[in-house]
Amino acid sequence: MALLQLEHVTKRFGGLVAVNRVSLEIEEGAFVGIVGPNGSGKTTLFNVINGVFFPEEGKLTFRGQDITRLPPFRRAPLGIGRTFQIPRPFASATVRENIAVGAMFGTQGHKLSVDGSLEVADQIIERVDLTAHRDKAAGTLTPVEKKLVEIARALAMKPRLLLMDEAMAGMHPNDIDQMVAFIKRVASEENIAIVAMVEHIMRAVIGLAEKVIVLHQGSKIVDAPTKEALQDPRVVEVYLGRAPEGEAC
Amino acid sequence: MRQIQKYFPIIPVFAAYLAMFLIAESMEGMWQLMSMLLFYCALGQAFNVFMGMTGYVDFGYVAFMGVGTYGMALSITRLAQYEFLGAWILVVGFGLALVMSTLLSMAVGAVALRLRGAYFAIATIGVNEGFRFLIEGARIWNGSEGMIFTADLNKILGRETAAALCTYWADIIVLVLAVLAACVTLVYMRGKIGYALTALREDEDAAKVMGINVTKFKIIAFITSACLAGLLGATAWALKTPYVFPPEVFEIHYTIEAIIIVMLGGAGTLLGPVIGGLVYGISKYYLSIFLPGFQLLIFAPVILVIIVLFPQGIVGMLKARTKGTGLERFIV
Repeated sequence: MALLQLEHVTKRFGGLVAVNRVSLEIEEGAFVGIVGPNGSGKTTLFNVINGVFFPEEGKLTFRGQDITRLPPFRRAPLGIGRTFQIPRPFASATVRENIAVGAMFGTQGHKLSVDGSLEVADQIIERVDLTAHRDKAAGTLTPVEKKLVEIARALAMKPRLLLMDEAMAGMHPNDIDQMVAFIKRVASEENIAIVAMVEHIMRAVIGLAEKVIVLHQGSKIVDAPTKEALQDPRVVEVYLGRAPEGEAC
Repeated sequence: MRQIQKYFPIIPVFAAYLAMFLIAESMEGMWQLMSMLLFYCALGQAFNVFMGMTGYVDFGYVAFMGVGTYGMALSITRLAQYEFLGAWILVVGFGLALVMSTLLSMAVGAVALRLRGAYFAIATIGVNEGFRFLIEGARIWNGSEGMIFTADLNKILGRETAAALCTYWADIIVLVLAVLAACVTLVYMRGKIGYALTALREDEDAAKVMGINVTKFKIIAFITSACLAGLLGATAWALKTPYVFPPEVFEIHYTIEAIIIVMLGGAGTLLGPVIGGLVYGISKYYLSIFLPGFQLLIFAPVILVIIVLFPQGIVGMLKARTKGTGLERFIV
C-alpha cells in the first residue's frame, strides 16, 4: 500500500482550477520530485496534501487513513511534515526552541515531554551543525541558516512524509550538495518519503529523485522514473516551448 | 536541579511583590500607592497571559473584569439574607466571578478568535460597550443604577471585618492574584502550551502545519486570562469598593492601561508586566499630583518612543543586555 495516495484531486479558486484531477501515489521512503513551471499548481498541491486547503473533489489517503477533510494540525502528528519556500521559523524563539516545537507536536509529540523535545532538538542541532546558533533567536539568522532550521524543525517531527517546498532555492551549489546528501541520509535512515518541489534547481532533483511528477497548468502530465521523465518530450515542451511546426531550425 | 532552574525567573517577580508588600506595611502613607501599583501589576500580568503570549490585542478585556465584579456583587447582594453563610458568600462570589468570566470569554472567543490581527482587535472593541448597554438597556442586575452593597457586606461580615476587607484584605488578595498570574504565566511558558503560543504568535499558519492546534491553545490562553481578570474585578472593584456601576466597570480605559503596561514592560515576558505596572503606576501617581489631567498626553509619546526604540519592551531590552551573563536565567 502506498504511503500517500491522491485520487482525482481537484482544487479550484473561483474559476481557476489550480489542481486538476491529480492522482498520484507516494511509496514509503521514496524520493519524488515535483516539477513544473511557475503557476503549474505545485504549491497548491502541497497545500492540499498538508491540509491548508481542502480539495473540492477527490480523496487523499495517508497510511490507509482518509485525510481529505483533516485539518493540518491533525495531519502533522500522523507524519506529514513540511518546509516552506521562504523559510518561516518562529522568529523570536531560539533555534533550539524552534526545533523542539517540531518534536513536541510531531509524530512522537504525544509521548515527548518539553524536556524530551529539547533533547531531541539538541541531537538534531548537532547533526545539522547549528550548534553555534543554538541559543540565538531564529529571526536573527541568515536565510541559509533559517532554511537549515526549518529543515531541522521538520525532521524533528519524525515525519513519514516530508514535503519540501523549493528547499534548495537560493542556496550556494556546494551547500545544496551537502544539504541534499544530508537529507538523503536522514531520509533513508528514518524511512521518510520525501516529496521535493522544484522549480529551478533541477540538479538537486536529478541527483536524488527516483521519480519525477511533472505538473502543467494544474494537471499531471508525466509521472515516471527520473531519467525517463526528463527526456519526455512533454516536459521539454513545458519548459522550453514547442518548435514551430514546418519551420526548419 | 535543571527542573528547578527552569522556574528561577519567578524569583525577581516574587522579590518585587515582596518588596512592595513590605514597603506598604512598614512605611506610613504608602499603602494607597502600593495598592494601586499592585492592581496595575496584577492587571498587566493577567492581560499578558493572552495578549503577550499570543500577540492578539483584546480591546474588550475590561469586560471580563466587569462581569467578575458583577459576580461578586450578585452573590453578596443576593445571599446577604442568609447570614449564617458568613465569609462563604465571598467564596461563592469568587466562584461566580470565575464562572461568569469563563462563560463570557468562551462566547467572545468562539466568535472573535476566528479573526486575526486588527480584525480581532476591532471585533473585541464592541464587547465591553455592548455588555454595558445590555446591562443598562435591558435593566439586568439593576441596570444603570448599579448595586451598592456596603450594607450587605457589613451584615455578612460585621462592620469591622468588612472595613478591614475593603482597606486591607482586598489589596492582599490582589497581591495573591498577581502572584498567581505570574505563576500561571511561567508554568505556561515552560509547558507545551508556551511553545505553541510562541509559535502561533510568530506564524499562525506555519504553527498549524507543525501540528499545533492553534485554536485550542488560543482559547485556553484567552479563558485563563479572562478568569484572572474576573477574579481581579471581583477583588479590586467589588471587595475594595463595595459598589458596581456599569459605566465604571466596562470602561475601555482600563484595557488601554493594560495594553500600555504590557507593551511598556515587554509583551510575552514574565517580568514585563511587573516592571510595566510599576513604571506606569508610579508615573501616573506622580503625574496626577504634579500635572493633573496630562497623564495620557504624556504617556502617548512615551509609548511611541518605547515601541520604536525597544519594541520588546523594558524587559526585552534587559534580556538582550543580560545575555551571556549570570543574570540571564532570572530574566524571562
